[in-house]
Amino acid sequence: MRPPITPIPPRKSQYGIDPALVKTRVSELPGMTSVLLKELFPDLPEVIYPGAGGVSAVRKATEEALKNIDMSRIKPEHSVNILASHHGFTLLGGEPYAEMLKTLKDVIEARTGCNNIRLRAGVGLRFRETEEYIKRYGLDKHFEGKAIGVAPIDQGIPIETEIGTLYGIRKIYDADWIVHAHNSDVREVHFHRQVDRAVKPFGMSYARIETRSTYHQNLGPRAANFTARAIFDSPFVQGKFAFASFLTVAPNGIIGVDADSDLYALNDRVTQIGCRYYGKMMTLFGEIDECIAALDFPCPVVYVFSAGVIYANFAGANTDLYDLDLPLPAYTWYTEAFYGKAGRPLLKDIPPLNPAIKMCVHNYAWTGYPSAFFSEHIPTVVVGQEQADLFNRDPQNLTYLKHAVVAETTEAAMEFAYKTTGTRKVLIFDGAMGGINVSEPLAELLLKKAPAVSERVENELLPKWLRQRGIDMSVLGKAAS
Amino acid sequence: MKVVNLLAAVDAEKCRGCKTCEKVCPVLAIKVENHKAVVDTERCRGCAACEQRCPDYAITMVKREQPVVVKVDVSAVDYARVEEICRRARLNPEQIICYCTATRAEEVAAAILQGARSPEEVSFLTGARTGCKVECIQPILRLLEAAGIKPEPPKDGWQWYGRTVTVWEIPDEVKHKYATRGFYFDEDIKLLDRVVAAPLQGRRES
Ligand code: SF4
Ligand code: SF4
Repeated sequence: MRPPITPIPPRKSQYGIDPALVKTRVSELPGMTSVLLKELFPDLPEVIYPGAGGVSAVRKATEEALKNIDMSRIKPEHSVNILASHHGFTLLGGEPYAEMLKTLKDVIEARTGCNNIRLRAGVGLRFRETEEYIKRYGLDKHFEGKAIGVAPIDQGIPIETEIGTLYGIRKIYDADWIVHAHNSDVREVHFHRQVDRAVKPFGMSYARIETRSTYHQNLGPRAANFTARAIFDSPFVQGKFAFASFLTVAPNGIIGVDADSDLYALNDRVTQIGCRYYGKMMTLFGEIDECIAALDFPCPVVYVFSAGVIYANFAGANTDLYDLDLPLPAYTWYTEAFYGKAGRPLLKDIPPLNPAIKMCVHNYAWTGYPSAFFSEHIPTVVVGQEQADLFNRDPQNLTYLKHAVVAETTEAAMEFAYKTTGTRKVLIFDGAMGGINVSEPLAELLLKKAPAVSERVENELLPKWLRQRGIDMSVLGKAAS
Repeated sequence: MKVVNLLAAVDAEKCRGCKTCEKVCPVLAIKVENHKAVVDTERCRGCAACEQRCPDYAITMVKREQPVVVKVDVSAVDYARVEEICRRARLNPEQIICYCTATRAEEVAAAILQGARSPEEVSFLTGARTGCKVECIQPILRLLEAAGIKPEPPKDGWQWYGRTVTVWEIPDEVKHKYATRGFYFDEDIKLLDRVVAAPLQGRRES
């Protein structure tokens, strides 16, 4: 068995405890090992990062991808907003995304002579998060002071769309041109269901509360993604859209940079990667019969990740998140909203949270995302009083600890979990790169199940998933590279 | 229902009187007076919106000595009217509309029946929209509208701009145009209609 992979280190942030308080990582405990994702799925694409070239490989790939982009409409006297989103900064340590952003600025400046290029970095529910990343990765310096974080409660701008007025953040659109700088990580596939993934930030990171609330409360779980498309397709946004540049990501790392002035063409390529490779990881995770989920990553509870898959997706791995015939996965805000006062779903056919998760050990995770639904439905042990105190101060998580218990140490939490659940299978969400940290019995199970999962996805599930999204695999000419 | 255990505290040295906090406060509890922000401690719901957006980092959230429980008693109003407002807004009365505070539609409807006339009043009375501050503006606007109220956004504020489309209002031509791209409008309408009509579980809140 391989030794565990070193996880992403704890990170200083106003949303997490002091990194010095994270004394033990779950992967350091006895009985832990790792599985390389290529061992599970040998057909996973080759990655450019992590790799020998470090982030310079990302710079090279960005420059290469931008060669095909027509920038002639951007004039030296114009202004350009490069639009970024917070999640890119948590992918594989964050440096690759920051490097793509820096390269974008350098190339646009060199090619067009325009030097009024700004970075506008949108957030989720932690409004200072991208301000932290801007400093951490030196983006403020690189953009000569023109790099800011924007939040959904900042001043808005109405946008007329096919479905009526929606609202964007004014500072996102206060330039002649916008460049959509994102990544293809599937992240919250339980929400977007890999429908218009590449377009989603127009309804999220770049959008005001009215629009985000429309997505999460007004449209329904599968129609919701239309909010983003409606905004992107609006004459207002089309009049400013220059092009998009994406880090293309597979569960094992960054496979390249893909740029296009046709966002929907890029979206089709991204959909194929997302369904094929993440679909395999997700389906494999659905094969886990019982386990302890260990959270150990500088991110809110739902977003901690393992093998490119976030905890919220694992909490829904008892359902097929890609199958659009299935109305509601086991976790989305729509699902959560539909639990009545007795704590049961309002409809009998609403699936429960993944019953394979026997316990959750919260060794290290941030605040800033409403997570009490998880601790209410999955027995949860939080390591350390400081972490508990932090959650008790978070307006989004005032009841998280009402449903959880606190253990003094990581060791004690895991012992408690082993004893109470009776399973030794552990899946660690710690952002390990290229592989996953797990306990030995779980490693065995995953290795055993992977070949059949791979075959089922290729032959049965993937064709269905792509058909549901109107994507014809045979015309996907340009592979992302 | 929300337990308000925090309070915004302004560092007058750092405050430059820019009014950002005033524009983002969901309950209108902070105002700039004589070029300095002043918090109405009775009104503040501890949401940290001001702390999170002040460009000068002049606000910190401090622990309240006496936490305040914010809650509207649904049993104090006629439940038939609560149900009527909720279902007209196409929400199940027991549906959660604010994930951070687990506020259900019925509590917002009860707040409206007790006199709330705007999202700011709803938030003040129920605590909804004082967690993440992002996700629950639409159901609140829908419930107010269902009760026949047309609120105006706070003048010059950024609190909210307007109600937006619901799935029931998506035009047919839009549905047709995108029918093959994975948007399941009609299927979602069916699902949501079933949720709206679902029977109540009715356990008393402890
Ligand atoms: S946002 Fe900050 S600087 Fe501006 S008025 Fe409020 S406290 Fe003062
Ligand atoms: S309610 Fe929120 S925004 Fe208003 S003063 Fe209190 S903490 Fe600040």
